[in-house]
Amino acid sequence: MSVLRVAPRTAVVLALASAAALATFTWPFFIPAHPESTARTGEAPLVFLVMLPVLVALVLAELSSGGIDSKALAMLGVLAAVNAALRPLGAGTAGIETVFFLLVLAGRVFGPGFGFLLGSTSLFASALLTAGVGPWLPFQMLCASWVGLGAGLLPARLRGRAEVAVLAGYGAFAAYGYGLLMNLWFWPFSLGADTQLSYVAGAPVLDNLHRFAVFTAVTSTFGWDTGRAITTAVAVVLAGPAVLAALRRAARRAAFDAPVTFAAPAPQPAPSAATPVPGAPVAASGDVTGPAVGVAPSARRGLDEQSATAEEGGQGGGSHQAPQRPAD
Amino acid sequence: MTEHRDGVDAAAADPERGPRHWSAARLPRGLHPGAWWLWALGLATAASHTTNPLLLALLVAVAALTVLRRRTDAPWALAFRMYLVLGAVIIAMRVVFRIVFGGGQGEHLLVSLPEIPLPEWAAGIRLFGPVAVEQVLGGFYDGLRLATMLVCLGAANALANPKRLLKAVPGALYAVGTAVVVALSVAPQLVESVLRVRRARRLRGATGRGMRALRGIALPVLADALDRSLALAAAMDSRGYGRTAAVPAGQRAATGALVLGGLVGVCAGTYGLLDSTGSGYLGLPMLLAGLVVAVTGMLLAGRRVRRSRYRPDRWRSAELLVAGCGIAAAALTLLAGSVAPELLYPPVSPLTWPEVTPLMLLAVAAAAGPAWLAPPPPGSPSTRAPTAGTPVNAVAAPTRTGDPATSVPGGHP
Repeated sequence: MSVLRVAPRTAVVLALASAAALATFTWPFFIPAHPESTARTGEAPLVFLVMLPVLVALVLAELSSGGIDSKALAMLGVLAAVNAALRPLGAGTAGIETVFFLLVLAGRVFGPGFGFLLGSTSLFASALLTAGVGPWLPFQMLCASWVGLGAGLLPARLRGRAEVAVLAGYGAFAAYGYGLLMNLWFWPFSLGADTQLSYVAGAPVLDNLHRFAVFTAVTSTFGWDTGRAITTAVAVVLAGPAVLAALRRAARRAAFDAPVTFAAPAPQPAPSAATPVPGAPVAASGDVTGPAVGVAPSARRGLDEQSATAEEGGQGGGSHQAPQRPAD
Repeated sequence: MTEHRDGVDAAAADPERGPRHWSAARLPRGLHPGAWWLWALGLATAASHTTNPLLLALLVAVAALTVLRRRTDAPWALAFRMYLVLGAVIIAMRVVFRIVFGGGQGEHLLVSLPEIPLPEWAAGIRLFGPVAVEQVLGGFYDGLRLATMLVCLGAANALANPKRLLKAVPGALYAVGTAVVVALSVAPQLVESVLRVRRARRLRGATGRGMRALRGIALPVLADALDRSLALAAAMDSRGYGRTAAVPAGQRAATGALVLGGLVGVCAGTYGLLDSTGSGYLGLPMLLAGLVVAVTGMLLAGRRVRRSRYRPDRWRSAELLVAGCGIAAAALTLLAGSVAPELLYPPVSPLTWPEVTPLMLLAVAAAAGPAWLAPPPPGSPSTRAPTAGTPVNAVAAPTRTGDPATSVPGGHP
């Protein structure tokens, strides 16, 4: 399913912006020795540092230009909060990275557009909470967004063990890719201009690629990135099925796909204001006030699967019937 | 209305602070976050145009001084130390990489380490070898410049309230901004949720540890958070979220075309920038024009969103002063660069002692303005106490920035 519809125009904007954004990572490979177009070689990194935040903002605005459904937006905010809370758990311990696990699973369940937004909002919220805003943030946001987008684009038909296996493999791949791109971004800044591992403006692409490969292998691939890939894959395998079930249950309860129709008011007593499930209009027979409102018949199975875990946590399995606190 | 009430409060609370109009301007209040960011970006711009270590150290000292005098107790304000440590790490990394992978250029040999040639797959690269003063100093200057820019951004982080900044995002980013605000508000509730689930587990005598306990806690917390999101959505619906203004189809098509055309321009400009054979017009001008067109389209698309603001931040004289200080610092540094570029980029070979000109000192003085010009932060009367001691700090700081991690002892207001 896809919570956020990606219109063709949005897809084109996304592709164009991603292509331009990729250049802000890979410019050391291609930058000419004496660019006529820029006054000084030193300007190129600054131009890209300014350009990328604008590109990220453009894509985010375009993705949400159709208006995000309130349920999708609340889900986005809550999942971003969970991700932001998970992130510091791994910081400090070398290579334990806990962000990608939920990002991959949520992107898988809620679709590519939602995955993209979740990647950006998660890292932005996490940066604000632990105060890590800096020039690196837009680059991290974009990389994480690509990870979420890719998870949403995996083949939809897979279920069960095959799905978990594919997700674990993708998580490991994405973890390596993220590390590689962030290294590539940091490469010119961490080394400066004249060590043997620095990029050489105007050198052949393969030559620079070789230097970068050595740099990334020496600094992080075998330590940090491998740790991140293993953590993500193991977390997906261990907790994946249960988390996928929880996310799918939430998606069914929210009834994102339901067309909202308005019917003439029936002469029934008015329902209480706090109808627990906002997706109420789905109920096919117009039974708006029944106790099981909004839980489509197909969703029952999901609820039953879930009740065991929910009871274990002291939720009583009846959280969907409990009076809801008004959120502020 | 708020201003009027505040003015009365000020006159009643601080009669000794002088005439009423002055005390109203000096009221403790949060500054517009945009003003702090403009000031910090001005400082970062100034830092990016010099490698003079004395000037850079002065800029770091100014940023630290302003943070110490004008920050609040909010969590984001306490992370300034992290940026200082990060800056120190960057400097150390540059120097260490120069020593390990450096080519060994320079006349003044510091020490001669044994060379280690790497195996075939890393052909052409050797480790260690002779270490020259010029080489290490070059790395230090470059690293210090980057670290100073970082510390300036860290100052903006510590001083500007991110939640108020999110309120000022353009309409097109309103939905995403709202999602981030939701995330920031929900994150503390997760802690409460974890405590609740753990208490329920203990009441039922569940003493499982390790993986089982993690599952028993993590999954209910996740389910709780997801349920909470549905309740939140219902609350947002009932308060009128998602109301959009009617925008004619023609205008929507025009904004779409602006965004698309701008992005095509950005792609072409980037290609022109990186292409060695490209002609000049394809490069930077094309890229900037594309960005401007696309951003215009985005801002126009934001007209669709209708929202009201609760207590919006306004640009008053203090905000203008703070932002102006940052811009003045950047402009004065650029001016100093055009007068004497060799003093802003002191050469490492031949080795020369860096100098500071009056123009540079003027830039630093402008940068330090907000430490006194900005109104004190709300809820911290103690920040006004050490006024007498701080000018000494500003002068003494350059000698201490050699170790940035410790240059803010007693950093708590």
